[in-house]
Amino acid sequence: MKTQILTGNEAVALGALRAGVKAVTGYPGTPSTGCLAHLLTLDLPDRHIEWSTNEKVAFEIAAGAAWAGHRAMCTMKMSGVNVAYDALISIAYSGTNGGLVIYVADDPGVSAGMPEQDTRGFALMSHLPMLEPASPAEAYELAQRAFELSETTRAPVFLRLTTAVALGHARVDVDAEVTPRDIAPILEKDIHRYTKAGSAICMEQHRASIERLDHASRAVRAMGLNHLHLDPEDGMLGVVAVGAVNAYLSEALALAGTEPPSGISTLHVATTVPFPWDEVCTLLGHCRTILVLEELEPHVERGLYVAAQQSSFKGRIVGKLDGTLSPIGEYGLQEVVKGLEACGFLQATAHDGGAQETATSPTREQPAAVLDRGDELCSAPRPITVCAGCPHRGTYLAIDAAIKTAGLSKDEVMVTGDIGCTILGMNPPFNLLWNEVSMGTSVSLAQGYVHGGLTTPVIATMGDSTFFHGGIPGLVNAIQHRVSLTLVVMDNGWTSMTGMQVNPGTDDVFQRDGRRIDIEAVLRGFGPDRLDVVDPYDLERMTSAIADGLSVSGVKVVLAQRECAIQAKRRGAVAGHTEVQVDKCVLCKRCLKITGCPALSVSPDGSSMTVDQSLCNGCGLCATFCPTGALTHSTEGAAT
Amino acid sequence: MTTCDIVLVGVGGQGVMTLGDLLARAALAADVPLAWVPSKGMAQRGGSVKAEVRLGYGAAGPRVPAGGADLLLSMERSETLKGMPYLRSDGRTILYDHVWEPTGVQLGEDAYPSRDDVVASLASRCNEVVLLDPAERPRFGDAPVVANIYALGALAGSERLRRLIDSRILERTVVDRWPKAAEANLAAFQAGFIHGNQPIGRFLGDARNRSATKETGT
Repeated sequence: MKTQILTGNEAVALGALRAGVKAVTGYPGTPSTGCLAHLLTLDLPDRHIEWSTNEKVAFEIAAGAAWAGHRAMCTMKMSGVNVAYDALISIAYSGTNGGLVIYVADDPGVSAGMPEQDTRGFALMSHLPMLEPASPAEAYELAQRAFELSETTRAPVFLRLTTAVALGHARVDVDAEVTPRDIAPILEKDIHRYTKAGSAICMEQHRASIERLDHASRAVRAMGLNHLHLDPEDGMLGVVAVGAVNAYLSEALALAGTEPPSGISTLHVATTVPFPWDEVCTLLGHCRTILVLEELEPHVERGLYVAAQQSSFKGRIVGKLDGTLSPIGEYGLQEVVKGLEACGFLQATAHDGGAQETATSPTREQPAAVLDRGDELCSAPRPITVCAGCPHRGTYLAIDAAIKTAGLSKDEVMVTGDIGCTILGMNPPFNLLWNEVSMGTSVSLAQGYVHGGLTTPVIATMGDSTFFHGGIPGLVNAIQHRVSLTLVVMDNGWTSMTGMQVNPGTDDVFQRDGRRIDIEAVLRGFGPDRLDVVDPYDLERMTSAIADGLSVSGVKVVLAQRECAIQAKRRGAVAGHTEVQVDKCVLCKRCLKITGCPALSVSPDGSSMTVDQSLCNGCGLCATFCPTGALTHSTEGAAT
Repeated sequence: MTTCDIVLVGVGGQGVMTLGDLLARAALAADVPLAWVPSKGMAQRGGSVKAEVRLGYGAAGPRVPAGGADLLLSMERSETLKGMPYLRSDGRTILYDHVWEPTGVQLGEDAYPSRDDVVASLASRCNEVVLLDPAERPRFGDAPVVANIYALGALAGSERLRRLIDSRILERTVVDRWPKAAEANLAAFQAGFIHGNQPIGRFLGDARNRSATKETGT
């Protein structure tokens, strides 16, 4: 055993290795990415690890490996579950053979964009158990229990982390990896179990899935995953805390100098599904007031109301449904203190400054209940923009120029956006994109605007990984139905925003055992009315390709191809060299205003613009806009 | 056990996350329980970043509560304001007063706070401020010492942190992390440690009329 500092993501990865996982698949998405990314840094000859095309594909591959008898896991952020669910509910009906774990990271507090979706709802909907660790150490432990539970009950099992646990670092005691089982694959032909052909089969599978959850309920109790602490005296207050919130509950009770809690009973919930009925009913019979602390939706709280009705509980339930706590945002110590105060606890003690002194915790002023962000109003805003040398900058500027060439204004041309770095064109200085929905939506949404009667040209934008993930069906639809639009595929060869993962379009050199799919050949194969392949650093050609597209009907695709500047720069590949002729610079700042490039700034003495050569990739776009020729660009010394 | 909550703020590219990692490694070496979490959102270089580090807790989540930070280390003047709500009134701030103006400021569209404003605001919020001026950074060889390690050195001398992690353990952690740059990093750390013992002011009792607070404990 070795003590290491791990994130929750890494703990899940190592927990799965400890459980002898054979195949791990996933699609990157904050805050889940670090799990599979960590596995890819390790030498794991007996296992298959891959970034799949999308979450549905990832889940289906993991399910196949599990049906063949092996332990398998797929990883995704909460939005990915929406993509995978079509297959997931079907496999939830059939059950599994080898342990099948779906690792999902929810993002209360929205650290990285997208809805604050509570994935516990999917576990409820599909009758699948879901384990919710409170810390990286618990994540390591529960990752292993998830595989056991899946094999005991034959149900796929969710493992759900929230941002603070997934990205948080803490000490974890790690045991040696376990080699995957050396077994012959299971080849079981049983249409009653593995198909959905007919009502008898489906209803029987539905019944079986509910039975598996009942089985899981007993198994979870036997494994002791939910911890009930009953105060020896007849309890005043019972606190139910779910997953990550448990850490802050411990802290709040320690702050009040009451650890172990006196007068307080606690239930540490690690499984919202299956609902811990026995523990909850015991707690209801023991306490007069129940406080429920859970982030996002009140799933456990609703269960408590049902249990309260069934057990004729006459006390008070404090949580979200009585308006005390919010279903929005991440919970920390503040929310726990607020809940305890609403129950009449803590008021007379810690919060008013009268904390009980104990041997180990000196009297200290307690933290405030609300984060006062007054001072933040004065800090300079830092809108997120694309990196220095980002090829997307050229695409945004070209779309802007093409709209002007067509005699139109930005306010009358719908430019749909998509997921990933490509959405950054919504921000200054571009202010170009109108919307962001889900992977690949831009090209379908654009068709809706056309059918909705928009007479000005419609432009859709998406990145390469997004195209392969979910963009292809929308483009195929546009071509089939002859919808007039221009799609700009911004192909930088990487899944960039999540930290540079390999996707189907990534160069062969970086594909481990895989190979590159030629995105141009794919696009050509669909037969759009027009296809231009352009380097987005070439502003003139890029602009004319888009402008030409806007002037004719049919489906026009512009493939803007240039590798992500961060990745290129890491390899020492630069496109050229840009510098400022100080004597010519009149400090009009036009370069900065138009490109917003982070490599450009006013020199420390305030006399001219300056180029930070450690950031500049030599794209030369800024030089295009310099009215005095002070910014010069050469492609000498360019390397690929 | 004594606890210590630290909030680190700055801009992507300044090595803020590295400081979180170094504090965690030192805590592991000192056998102190730790939890820390980086927050960088979608920030590349130039975006706001934050790390929350909690030391000495038996069980605690990684988020530092409002008004809970014993120590605030800021690597960028304007970003200091984002860390300020976390400060305890008896807390201590290390301000490495680097100015990284976002594009909007350079174009004259957005305001940027002055050093005096930030320091005055800190004075109303916490007990002690250490100001590190980037222009007066000591040199090692031909270049100024590494900024984030310099600031870490100043943080290392903080009483609340030293109760849990001896500054020599932190120093050793820095040296071991980059053996090839050991000398340069040692110079940065030690220079910071010395400057850290020279706060520009102590502010017992403040504008919001809180009662004067003294560090207490073992």
